[in-house]
Amino acid sequence: MLKIICVAFLFCAFGALPSAHQTVRSASAENLDGKTVDPFTSSGGRVVVLLFVRTDCPISNRYAPTIRQLHEKFQGKADFWLVYPDAGESARLIRAHDEQFHFAIPALRDVHRDLAKRAQATITPEAAVFDSAGKLVYHGRIDNWYEDFGRSRAAPTTHELDSAVRNTLGGKLVVPDHAHAVGCYISDLK
Amino acid sequence: MNFSSIKQIRAGFLSVAILFSSFVAVSFAERKPNSQQMPSRVTFSHDIAPIVFRYCASCHHAGEAGPFPLITYGDVKSHARQIADVTSRHLMPPWLPSQDGLPLDDDSHLSGEQIALFKKWVADGALQGNRDELPPAPKFTSGWQLGTPDLVLKATAPFAVPANGSDVYWNFIFRSPLNSSRFIRAIEIHPGEKRLVHHANLLVDRTQSARRQEGSPGSGFPGMELVLNAHLQPSGKAESIQPSIGIYFTNQPATRFPVLLQLDNDRALDIPAGNSNFLVSDEFTLPGGVQLLAIYPHAHYLCRDMLALARFPDGAEKTLIHIARWDLNWQAVFRLAQPELLPQGTTIVMRYRYDNSSDNISNPNNPPQRVRAGNRAVDEMAHLWLQVLPVASAADSRDPRMILQEALARHHIENNPDDFEAHYNLAAMLQLRGATREAVQQYQSALALRAGDAAVENALGGALLASNQIPEAIAHLAAAAAARPEYFDAHYNLGIAQATTGNFPAAVQELTTAVKLKPDDAGAEANLGAAFAELGETQKAILHLNRALQLDPGNGLAKENLEALRAAAPQP
Repeated sequence: MLKIICVAFLFCAFGALPSAHQTVRSASAENLDGKTVDPFTSSGGRVVVLLFVRTDCPISNRYAPTIRQLHEKFQGKADFWLVYPDAGESARLIRAHDEQFHFAIPALRDVHRDLAKRAQATITPEAAVFDSAGKLVYHGRIDNWYEDFGRSRAAPTTHELDSAVRNTLGGKLVVPDHAHAVGCYISDLK
Repeated sequence: MNFSSIKQIRAGFLSVAILFSSFVAVSFAERKPNSQQMPSRVTFSHDIAPIVFRYCASCHHAGEAGPFPLITYGDVKSHARQIADVTSRHLMPPWLPSQDGLPLDDDSHLSGEQIALFKKWVADGALQGNRDELPPAPKFTSGWQLGTPDLVLKATAPFAVPANGSDVYWNFIFRSPLNSSRFIRAIEIHPGEKRLVHHANLLVDRTQSARRQEGSPGSGFPGMELVLNAHLQPSGKAESIQPSIGIYFTNQPATRFPVLLQLDNDRALDIPAGNSNFLVSDEFTLPGGVQLLAIYPHAHYLCRDMLALARFPDGAEKTLIHIARWDLNWQAVFRLAQPELLPQGTTIVMRYRYDNSSDNISNPNNPPQRVRAGNRAVDEMAHLWLQVLPVASAADSRDPRMILQEALARHHIENNPDDFEAHYNLAAMLQLRGATREAVQQYQSALALRAGDAAVENALGGALLASNQIPEAIAHLAAAAAARPEYFDAHYNLGIAQATTGNFPAAVQELTTAVKLKPDDAGAEANLGAAFAELGETQKAILHLNRALQLDPGNGLAKENLEALRAAAPQP
């Protein structure tokens, strides 16, 4: 009994220690079957792209075709994940949503906001790009289609996510590493 | 024997009337904070729910256009920061006019105090508060808001909205099954999937010009058509939309007849690429007093600032409406809280400013291009529509609407001598008040702008017929009938013109075509009967005169001619 308590305590203590290798620290979320998934361990050194979305966020939904196109473009080179940060959105709701919007991208429920924290994501839709070492190299808007709520361009003129993935795959530095996203605030969620 | 014929000329006005859509207002007693000071503790139940219920919930509830519901504490909390953000910048609720114009109905401008409440609520942790203090949630009816319509028209075909891309503008055409005139007390639009339809204007197409633009052969439909001009926004997935319109009839004729007064200056709209402050203005002086009821300002993506003001005869000015940050997405008809009297001699001034630089993110051209007037989203517009009720004048016995319409048409021609519709409508009004000579001139100007146009050929022929220039009339009416063989008015008028010259076989031919095109027209039947009578074909004459009386028991022409036939018949 005593041993068990001791082990558990030790475990906690280690977990609380600041990690010297924050960039490779694991961060996990649930897939739609309720299984814990860590997109960084499963990536096998590939570039990881997280897309924070929400089923009821209109801007997030209007980006579905763009997200699908980028996923197809980088298939086999970068792992794309849809990340739903709203604990209130059930796996069933997300499945129905992904079907409606023809997403063929694996979805994760970020119920503990581990991924949002690691990606420094505050908005849906917002993208985060991690290099092969798991280091966050870009987070922010997908492109500049939306300037503000209800104020959008006829078509985007800059494509931040696309160039961030391309540069990362080409081993180049991503500049800027952040661009403000327009959409729904993740912090509003429970 | 000379049988009478009706010299009633058939021609219509070309302009389309925009039906002002009505907003369904839901009102709630709003609890204002007791003092100017912010309450020490802001909660959903006590402070936030009353504002949300009044200003947000009417769109933000299930089945409505708002993308997510804002009814329960959970709904509102899950968008709390977003709400505080968009309200503080007056992006929501969507309300374009600033507070320096006339008081408007359904003004949803939030006060500084209300905005501060949202901010403090979020800063304090978006607390629920005491549930007993929560006002009752608003109740919304689903389906037709005005009850079951008397007639539901569904768009002939659905439209496939693509998943992706920029906004789409689409005209849905509604065929009316009505073959007689009805008074309408209300119209409700059911756009289908509301998330996709940004807004829609319902137009009455009296000349079926939209149908011709549609390119389908569909001819021979009586009556006028309705066109729903819809602004659709792709949602991210492919969708299909097929709107319906509910129409509510009444037996009560209208008692008030508002006029749509349009200021514009499309000719002045020629904005150089890169110009960030381009002014377009127009001024129109009222020939008589009017009650201003509603305002509909309209422009596209480059317009930034819109101002409409009234300059009174004494020189004093009053802002009617001012929109400091125009956004096409939230255009609306703004109804005045109460009618505003604008006396005779008041000048309405329109001043719109445009930003055609790359700093204007709504600029549809990248890089900016020279932009001129037009209907496409990449073109611009500078329109100010005022719904006014003309006031009768003691000094002028004419219908004040006609005085106003005539002055407007002349104003539009002055602004743009190539304004086809203005020439046409001015001619129609001149003809109505008996100024036939000038009417003929105006129709000729219209025809010069649109050679071979069936409606103008017909109207010009009608005006020439009325001024007894028969051979010229026949030439234009024949041109109208040749341009549009299914055009009832042209065949009818041509039949009358032929009868006037005594060419009854030709009259019978044209009127027979007219009756085939519109079998329920008592006038056409009566005139056809009269023409047969002139040819001595009594049996056919009686048949058609009786049909005219069946359609319209009070038809004087049919009665008169039947009596004449009876009197002429050999006595047994």
